[in-house]
Amino acid sequence: MQLSTLLKRNLTYYWRTNLAVVLGVATAVAVLAGALLVGDSVRASLRDLLLLRLGNTDQVISSAGFFREQLTNDMQAHTQFASTFSAACPLVVLDGTVTHDKSNRRAAGVQVYGVDERFWKFHGRDGADYTLNPRQLLLSAGLAQELGAEVEDAILVRVEKHSDIPVESLHGRKEDLGITMRLTTRAVLPASALGEFSIRPQQAAVRAVFVPLRRLQQDLDQDGKVNTILLAEKNREANPQIALEASEKLLRDAFSLADVGLKVNALAEQRRLLLESDSAIINDELANTARQTAESLSLRVYSVLTYLANTMRVGQREVPYSLITALNEEGFDFSRKGTSTLPPMILNEWAARDLAAKPGDTLSFDYYLWEQEGRLTTRTAQFEVTGIVPIAGAAADRRFAPTYPGITESASLSDWDPPFPMDLKRVRPIDEEYWHQYRTTPKAFIRLEDGQKLWGSRFGKLTSLRLAPAEGSNLQTTLDAYQTKLKAALDPLKMGFSVYSARAQGLAASRGATDFGEYFVYFSFFLVVSALMLTGLFFKLGVEQRLREIGLLRAIGFPAAQIRALFVREGFALAVIGSIVGVGGAVGYGELMMFGLRTWWVGAVGTTSLTLHISPTSLVIGAVGGVLTAVGCIVWSLRLLAPTSPRSLLMGVASSEPEDRKDKRSSWRQRLAALPFSASRLAIICGLIGTVMLVSATLKLIGQVAGFFGAGTLLLVALLCFQAARLKNAKKKLIQGSGWWAVARLGFRNAAYRPGRSVLCIALIASATFIIVAVGAFRRDSQETVLEKKSGNGGFPLLAESLLPVTYDPNSAEGRAALNLPALEDSAMGRVSFARFRVRPGDDASCLNLYQPRNPKILAPTTDFIQSGRFAFQDSLASTPEEKANPWLLLNQAASDGAVPVIADANSLTYVLHLKLGDELTLHQNSGQAIRLRVVAALADSIFQSELLMSEKNFLRSFPSEEGYRFFLLDAPPEKVSAVTTTLEERLADFGFDVRETEERLASFHRVENTYLSTFQSLGGLGLLLGTLGLATVLLRNVLERRRELALLRAVGYNSSHFTIMVLAENALLLCGGLVTGSACALLAIAPTLLARGGQLPTVALGVLLLAVMVAGLTASLAATIAAWRAPLIPTLRAE
Amino acid sequence: MLEVTNLSKAYPTPRGPLSILSNISLSLSRGEAVSIMGPSGSGKSTLLYIVGALEPPTSGTVALDGQNPFRLAERELAAFRNQKIGFIFQDHCLLPQCSVLENVLTPTLVAGANDNDVERARSLLDQVGLRERLDHRPAELSGGEKQRVALARALIRQPLLLLCDEPTGNLDRHSAEVVASLLLELHARQQTILIVVTHSAELAARFPIRFEMSEGELKQS
Repeated sequence: MQLSTLLKRNLTYYWRTNLAVVLGVATAVAVLAGALLVGDSVRASLRDLLLLRLGNTDQVISSAGFFREQLTNDMQAHTQFASTFSAACPLVVLDGTVTHDKSNRRAAGVQVYGVDERFWKFHGRDGADYTLNPRQLLLSAGLAQELGAEVEDAILVRVEKHSDIPVESLHGRKEDLGITMRLTTRAVLPASALGEFSIRPQQAAVRAVFVPLRRLQQDLDQDGKVNTILLAEKNREANPQIALEASEKLLRDAFSLADVGLKVNALAEQRRLLLESDSAIINDELANTARQTAESLSLRVYSVLTYLANTMRVGQREVPYSLITALNEEGFDFSRKGTSTLPPMILNEWAARDLAAKPGDTLSFDYYLWEQEGRLTTRTAQFEVTGIVPIAGAAADRRFAPTYPGITESASLSDWDPPFPMDLKRVRPIDEEYWHQYRTTPKAFIRLEDGQKLWGSRFGKLTSLRLAPAEGSNLQTTLDAYQTKLKAALDPLKMGFSVYSARAQGLAASRGATDFGEYFVYFSFFLVVSALMLTGLFFKLGVEQRLREIGLLRAIGFPAAQIRALFVREGFALAVIGSIVGVGGAVGYGELMMFGLRTWWVGAVGTTSLTLHISPTSLVIGAVGGVLTAVGCIVWSLRLLAPTSPRSLLMGVASSEPEDRKDKRSSWRQRLAALPFSASRLAIICGLIGTVMLVSATLKLIGQVAGFFGAGTLLLVALLCFQAARLKNAKKKLIQGSGWWAVARLGFRNAAYRPGRSVLCIALIASATFIIVAVGAFRRDSQETVLEKKSGNGGFPLLAESLLPVTYDPNSAEGRAALNLPALEDSAMGRVSFARFRVRPGDDASCLNLYQPRNPKILAPTTDFIQSGRFAFQDSLASTPEEKANPWLLLNQAASDGAVPVIADANSLTYVLHLKLGDELTLHQNSGQAIRLRVVAALADSIFQSELLMSEKNFLRSFPSEEGYRFFLLDAPPEKVSAVTTTLEERLADFGFDVRETEERLASFHRVENTYLSTFQSLGGLGLLLGTLGLATVLLRNVLERRRELALLRAVGYNSSHFTIMVLAENALLLCGGLVTGSACALLAIAPTLLARGGQLPTVALGVLLLAVMVAGLTASLAATIAAWRAPLIPTLRAE
Repeated sequence: MLEVTNLSKAYPTPRGPLSILSNISLSLSRGEAVSIMGPSGSGKSTLLYIVGALEPPTSGTVALDGQNPFRLAERELAAFRNQKIGFIFQDHCLLPQCSVLENVLTPTLVAGANDNDVERARSLLDQVGLRERLDHRPAELSGGEKQRVALARALIRQPLLLLCDEPTGNLDRHSAEVVASLLLELHARQQTILIVVTHSAELAARFPIRFEMSEGELKQS
């Protein structure tokens, strides 16, 4: 016989008790490892979803504008392409809105892909299966379902028509910005057939249409052009950064000036090279690069800025619609003799004659200017005529004017179709004659700096650059050299192109904004605690069952330490067996939780594509964690053996102590009693502090939420201590009388038999109840939303998003007229005001997006909105009284270190972006540029959970190419909300205007929050139920421990009803003690939240949960009673 | 009047029934006190528990005051025990969470209401010499004191039959003497039928009627 043999015998002989311990450990491990598996599974599911949707895509090259489709071939033809990449594919990617013709159902925010057979081949599919004729499209399954569309159904697809000319410039077209294609559904593509192709990570179903590339190019007037290239890497295991650098190099080598919207032409007659942009304007950075390149080739550089004057006027004489060029070209002498302070101007002979102008005259001209705020204004400038030149030489150069669509190619002035109002009645025959003869030849010239002061904008201050080669050099050779050198000097990544590793970024993002593993460990906390409590309890019960055996071992010479070690080994063996069983349970628990996330809690994840992925690491962590914690509990439960004498043990008692130890303990107790931490003293201290906090919070001397929550928690501790003290208190009222109440009182007294156990049970139930009730109060009900300026909706009942940028100000009469909206006098629309926001598209930063947002969407409100000070803030870095009153003002702060101030919603900040106030976030615009954003304020539960907000000024500086306004908040009378929605969606249908109620948006965020809270409550409730079963076990143990007493009661005439009343009373006391204490303190803690919501509490769910706990506890105690009653009690009374 | 007629008890075992009591008959009137002695396993305690209606016989009848308890339903049987029988065990079986007074009152909690219960309990405790220990817990009492509490508890309902299973078995000589004296004194005062099972010849000698139990049979010595 060896100790190991004894260990084996113990494990098998006491198999019933041991089985309970094993099951306890198994439950703890199953819940712990299962929770970790949930985290792994969500991450892996997001990863799988991303990979399924990316197809063969590794990298994406995209551009703000369109570039040559041929660029793809040029890159593939590059000698270094094949070493890193296996395939490339050009396509057009646009956002769009689609309408199902039959049902008129509409979907906004749809991905529109212009593809041809190369796309399908790129993804390793047979392109023939998806060949589309010019009138067909393919629908993703999710979109088809949403629209109710079937094969052969007609679909209207509306997308933005790209304009090279900035929309927010005079020549930018502000209406009719989109095109609509009517196409027939050829097939509905499931996700497995790439129907959910997406280069942006998102867990929700992808809504996509695939349209024929050629047809889309044709309709967009972008023949032979695309805006995206997909690249497939040869070796996906290689470092993605190296592959990224390789693709950037390929792009830099293969791109042409045309791909970045530049053209350089040789003007033979003028012996100049002419650099122009498709946007008709050259920005400062490009101008500098072009200038430096020219200078490196010893070319002289002349800058030109041409603009349209509506009227040139000298005295009473006027000339309509004339081009004026500001330049620093040779041959224009702006010097003068007089002392006029007006800037100089040179007129051509035709204009001078028509205006009867002579040097020294004052000329004024009117011109349109597109104001950033969204309106066209007319301004007037005055110049002094300093010279008159013949229409010859440089003054006869019609190429000073860039090509303006609707103007340059017109046969006559009356054929002009400019994007601004024009009064054709003012056009005289003489003007038509000029146009016919000289077309865009400027009628006047001014100094470059004067012109730039008048017409410079954020898009640039030049319309062209002219480069003069050295005398005698060959113009064509110079052109070639300049083009080559300019291309080398330009970086396409700074000119609208971006290259990013969609796969690597997506995989990084799929690690998730939310660690579900961590969340589920929190959610399952009470389950784990309950399971561990049961483990410790069962083990302790097993030890108590074997006290005589332990006494015997002590009597025959086993040292206490060795007996303890024997039990620890036994406990360890049981924990290991339990953890092995628990690993199996973890898979089941994980599967159950994933099922929950796909069904009951789908609101938290927004996708049904989550499946269980088993990670050995999580299983090992869960198993090891479970074993260690269980062994800890077991070691703790063994502490009762230490002070027990062998004699007591032999008598089956674990409470008698040797005298020497008793003495030591009593002195120790005396010392403890001297401390202020006895249960009753602690109850008084906590109660007092809690009351003080409660009063302070009521009087608003301290923060209400923190104050009430702190008071509630302290009072919970106080009440628990009070109950502990009361249970231990020796002075009790005499139990007398007869009947059920007297018997019930005997049951209550039994609760004091083992006060430690009873208080533990009450504490566990009270803590769980406290948290569950408190959490319940944080559920958000969208019905409770009120329209207030200082709330989460800012007092705006509606919000709208537009597919196409809206440049006109819908708050002005002119803007409404331009947008075809009812006038300000209209009964419904007249009282509607719009808060406009510029939008930089990006990742959703709200809890609706499970992927980690790496490039959050950015909104920029107008100055008016910032000044209005709407919305409620949770916190801010405000320092001045003005900022404290209106934290939006912080957006206007200029940070000395260049960081751009932004505001975010507090929830998104904490739970999705994992940032706090003052933290910085770096936004990578593309490979070359990064913008540092600093969080300066946090909105409280707002509709802005999906985005960050920055000032319009900073937005335009950071993202100059983002034009117009695409997000709107609408202040409308509540009774007109429906009419306003209909009117706006009808009138602005061409803009893809989508109007929603702000309440609906808030509700979508609240649904996620509420689902998390429900999950927490469900699993917490499950833990509470398990804890209740633990309570029943305690009770059963108490009953079994007191078998002799019960037998005696039976002997003296107690029947089964008396037993039931007694045991139920004891259990009800503990249950009610826990439930009432926990609930009362929780209600106190959440009082401010409750009051803020008009005293409403989600009572039904909570009531059901607490009732379930009560019923489960009482049922379990009934079972304990029956077990005790059926047990052969009488033999315990026998003397022999 | 206690009438035990042809009482037999056998326990089923894998090797067939094991006979413990065999054809025992006994008749005792109010005021009579008997002791039963015998070796361990002879069936003395079994007889005591059957007479006390805690265990049914295999055959034969028990009638107390003309009533056969084993014909009663569970609730009535419990009430019968509560009303007519008092028990004292070797291990006093006091409720540790209750005071001395409460322990004595325990049987009254399930009996019909009686305002005199507390007074009577105090009186009994006075009689057993524990007037000063009413509020003490069992853990604060000596073995002899605990047994005296058990004696008071057994008599609180003024039972007709008082059954004692080794009442002095766990006590020192002095305590045993005190408890035995009290037992007999209170029995005499209350005129109960007293049956005491004991190994102690000294205690047995104090009873006017003595029985010897051997191999399941009861013989008067």
